[in-house]
Amino acid sequence: MQVNIKKILALLLAVLMLFSMAACGNDAADSKDSVVIAIGSEPETLDPTKGWGHGNSPIVQSTLVRYTSDLTFENDLAVGYKLSDDGLTCTFTIREDAFFTDGEKVTAADVAFTLETAKAAQGSVDLTYMESAVARDDTTVVITLSKPTSIFLNTLASVGIVPKHAYSEDYGTNPIGSGPYKFVEWKAQEQIIFTANEDYYGGAPVIKKVTVVFMSEDAALAAVRAGKVDVAYSSAALGTTEVDGYHVEAVASADNRGFTLPVLPNEGRTTESGAPIGNDVTCNIEIRQAIAYAIDRKQVADVVLNGFGKPAYSENDGMPWNNPEVVIETDMEYAKKLLADAGWIDTDGDGIVEKDGLKAEFACVYPSGDSVRQAVAMAAAEQVKEIGIRINVEGISWDEIMRRMFSEAVMMGWGSAIPNETYYLYRSEGALLDDFYNPEGYTSNVTDGYLNAAMEALTVSEANENWRKVQWDGTTGTSMRGECPWVWIVNLDHVTYVRDGLSIGEQPIHGHGHGLPLIQNLHEWRWNE
Amino acid sequence: MKKINRRTKVVILTIIMTIILIAVYALGVLIPEDAVTGSFLNAKEPPSLEHLFGTDALGRDLLMRTLKGLAVSMTIGIAASALSAVIAVFVGISAAVGSKWVDAFINWLIDIVMSVPHTILVILISFATGRGWKGLLIGITATHWCSLARLIRGEVLQLRSRQYVAVSRKLGKSSGWILVHHLLPHLAPQFFVGLILMFPHAILHEASVSFLGFGLMPEQPAIGIILSESMRYIGAGMWWPAVLPGLTLVLIVLLVDRLGGHLQMIMEPYSAQE
Repeated sequence: MQVNIKKILALLLAVLMLFSMAACGNDAADSKDSVVIAIGSEPETLDPTKGWGHGNSPIVQSTLVRYTSDLTFENDLAVGYKLSDDGLTCTFTIREDAFFTDGEKVTAADVAFTLETAKAAQGSVDLTYMESAVARDDTTVVITLSKPTSIFLNTLASVGIVPKHAYSEDYGTNPIGSGPYKFVEWKAQEQIIFTANEDYYGGAPVIKKVTVVFMSEDAALAAVRAGKVDVAYSSAALGTTEVDGYHVEAVASADNRGFTLPVLPNEGRTTESGAPIGNDVTCNIEIRQAIAYAIDRKQVADVVLNGFGKPAYSENDGMPWNNPEVVIETDMEYAKKLLADAGWIDTDGDGIVEKDGLKAEFACVYPSGDSVRQAVAMAAAEQVKEIGIRINVEGISWDEIMRRMFSEAVMMGWGSAIPNETYYLYRSEGALLDDFYNPEGYTSNVTDGYLNAAMEALTVSEANENWRKVQWDGTTGTSMRGECPWVWIVNLDHVTYVRDGLSIGEQPIHGHGHGLPLIQNLHEWRWNE
Repeated sequence: MKKINRRTKVVILTIIMTIILIAVYALGVLIPEDAVTGSFLNAKEPPSLEHLFGTDALGRDLLMRTLKGLAVSMTIGIAASALSAVIAVFVGISAAVGSKWVDAFINWLIDIVMSVPHTILVILISFATGRGWKGLLIGITATHWCSLARLIRGEVLQLRSRQYVAVSRKLGKSSGWILVHHLLPHLAPQFFVGLILMFPHAILHEASVSFLGFGLMPEQPAIGIILSESMRYIGAGMWWPAVLPGLTLVLIVLLVDRLGGHLQMIMEPYSAQE
C-alpha cells in the first residue's frame, strides 16, 4: 500500500512540474511589450565613466552624439557643436528638453562633470587628450583639447552623461540617466531589468520592459528551446540548430580573427618581463604574404563557422574608414611563387619548404578554451600546408600566450566600431607591449605619419582618408598587400536567436563583445503582431 | 569433449583479455599521426562505414583519435600505477620494519594524502608541475600509492611474526636475506593485483582531469580531451563524439577491472585451487 501512495505522489509531482514548466513558457510569449534577452557576458558596471557603453550605447544614459546604423554621427543630447579652426576647442550646445529619470534637468554642468570624471577614472574611456570640459551656461559646454583629435566624436558617442547631483561611488550598480530606458534591478550573475523611460525626449520606446539574463551559449539555446527567452546570443557552432518559433539573425561584425606574425628576427632579445622576441621564419615578408594569399577565407567561413562569418581583410572591414584596396584574392600559385622567388624550396621532399637549412615551420598559439579560434587556426594551417609552410597549432593559457606572443604566431581577435583601434594596433610606440595590440613588433615611420595625421585631422573625411592610407597608400601599408604583420582570416557574425514576430531593428556592425552590442538599438525593437 | 575446469577457464579468459588490451594499445601506438589529423572539410560527420565513430568538429576521425587517446591514457596509466606500486612496496616495507617514528611518520603521511579527495589533489599537483604528460604522471603517482602501502605494511607486520622468519633470524640470516627470500615472494601477489587494480583508477583520473582542463593539452588525443570537446557540440545534436569514445573508455576500464579480479583468483593461494 505504501508503495502505491509513493507512486501516486511521484506522478502528481511530475504532472505539477509539467504544468509549472508550461506556465513559464507562456510567460514570455503572451506579453507583447516586453522582451527577455539572453547574453553571454555580464557588464562590470553601468557607469559610463568607467567603461559601460564602450562598444555599445549605454541605453540608461544618453550621449552627446550617437552612431547611426551606418556608423556616422547624429545629434543626441547635443543640438549642435562647433569646432574652432585650430581643432582645439569644441563647443557643444545641448537640448533643453532632456531630463534625468529623477526629474532633474540635464545641464551643461552634468556634461562637463561626466567628461572630467571619465578622464580622472582612466578606465577604458581614453580622454588623455582632453585638457578640460567647462560649462559656460546651462546649455553650453566648452571642451578644450591638448591636440586636435579626430576620434573625439567617437569617444563622445560612447560616454553616457551621468547626473552631477546623483553621482556617488555605487552609481555603477544603481544608475540614473536620461536615456531611453530606466534601470530597475541588477541581480549579480543573473539578470538586469530595465523599463522604458516614458519621458524620454526622443519618444517613449515601444518595448516597455527589458530583462537581460546572463547565461552560457548552451544554456541560452536550451532556454530558446523551452521558449523562455525572446532573444538569445549564440555561436556559430550552435546556430545551425533550428528551433520552432524562432529564426536566426546573423549580424555582421568587425569581430575578427587572424594570425599575428612576429615581424622581427630572433636575435636573442627579450622584453622587460623576459619574453623572447622575434621569429626567424615569420620575419620574412614573403612568408607572411604567402600565408595571406594561401588562405581561402570563404571556405573557412563557410565550413568552420557554418556560414556565420565573412572573409576578413583588415581590422575594420565594412567601416567608413576602411580602405577597399586591402581585399586580396586567394591565389595558391602566387603564394608559391612568392616563396620560390625568395629561395624557399622543398629540397628534402617532406612537403615543407626551407631556405638555408631553416624550415618554414612555426607555432601558432590560441587560448585553449576557445573552440572557434582553435578551428579557424587549424583550418588555416591545413590550407597553408599546401604551399609548404607548417603551422603547429597549440592551445595554451593567456598567461603563457603573454610569454610567447612576441616570438610566435597568435590566433588573435580584435574589432571595434571606433577607428582608433587602427592607431593602437600599428603605432610604433605600441610595439611589443603586453596589451595584445602589437605583439608582432611592427614599427614604421610611414605608418606613424598617417596615424598621427588621422588622429589630428579636423574633419571626419580627412581623418578617414588617412586611416585608409595607413592600410595601403599605393606602395606600402599595414594591410596584407603591404607589410602584412597580421593575416586576417574571418569576421565572425554574431549569431542571434530571435522569436518570430520580434524585430530587432537595423543592427549596426557589431564590435568585439559577447552580446552587449546587441541591445544598443533597443529603442528600435518592435513586436510585429 | 573433455570438461574444462574452472581454473583453466579463468586462465583462458585472462589471456584473451590481456591480448585485447595489448591489441588496443598496439593499435593506438601504431596509428600514424596523419590518421588523426583529418581535414576540416569533413567535419562533424555522423558515424558511417568510412568513419566508424564519425568525425569531430575539426574533421578528425574519432575512432582513430579514440584509439590513439586510449594508448596515451594507457601509457600514463601503466607508468603511474607501476611507479605508485613500487613506492607503495618501498614505503610499506619501511613502515613495517623501520623504527617506531618512521612507522608513525608514514602512517601520518598516508592519512594526510588520503584525507584530500584524489581528484582535487591530482588537479593541484598536475597544474603546479606544468600540466601535460609530466604533470599528470606526477599527480597520479603521488596520490595512488597509499592504500596499497597500507596493505603491504600490514602484510609485512604479519609475516615478521611467522615462525620461519624467526627461525631464519636465529640461524643468523641477515635482514636483507630475509627480505629477499621470505618477505618479497609473499608480497608478489599483492603487488601485481594491486598494480592492475590501480590501473583503471589511474586511467579514469587521467581522463577526468584532462576533461576538466588541467591535464593533457587540447591538441593531444586523449579521451578526456575528446569528451570535454564534445560537450560544446552536444547541444547542437552531435551525440557521437560524447557517446562512442565514452563507451569505449568504460569498456576498457571494465576489462582491466575484470582482468585484475581474475588474476587475483589465479595468484592468491586461497583461491588458486578452486
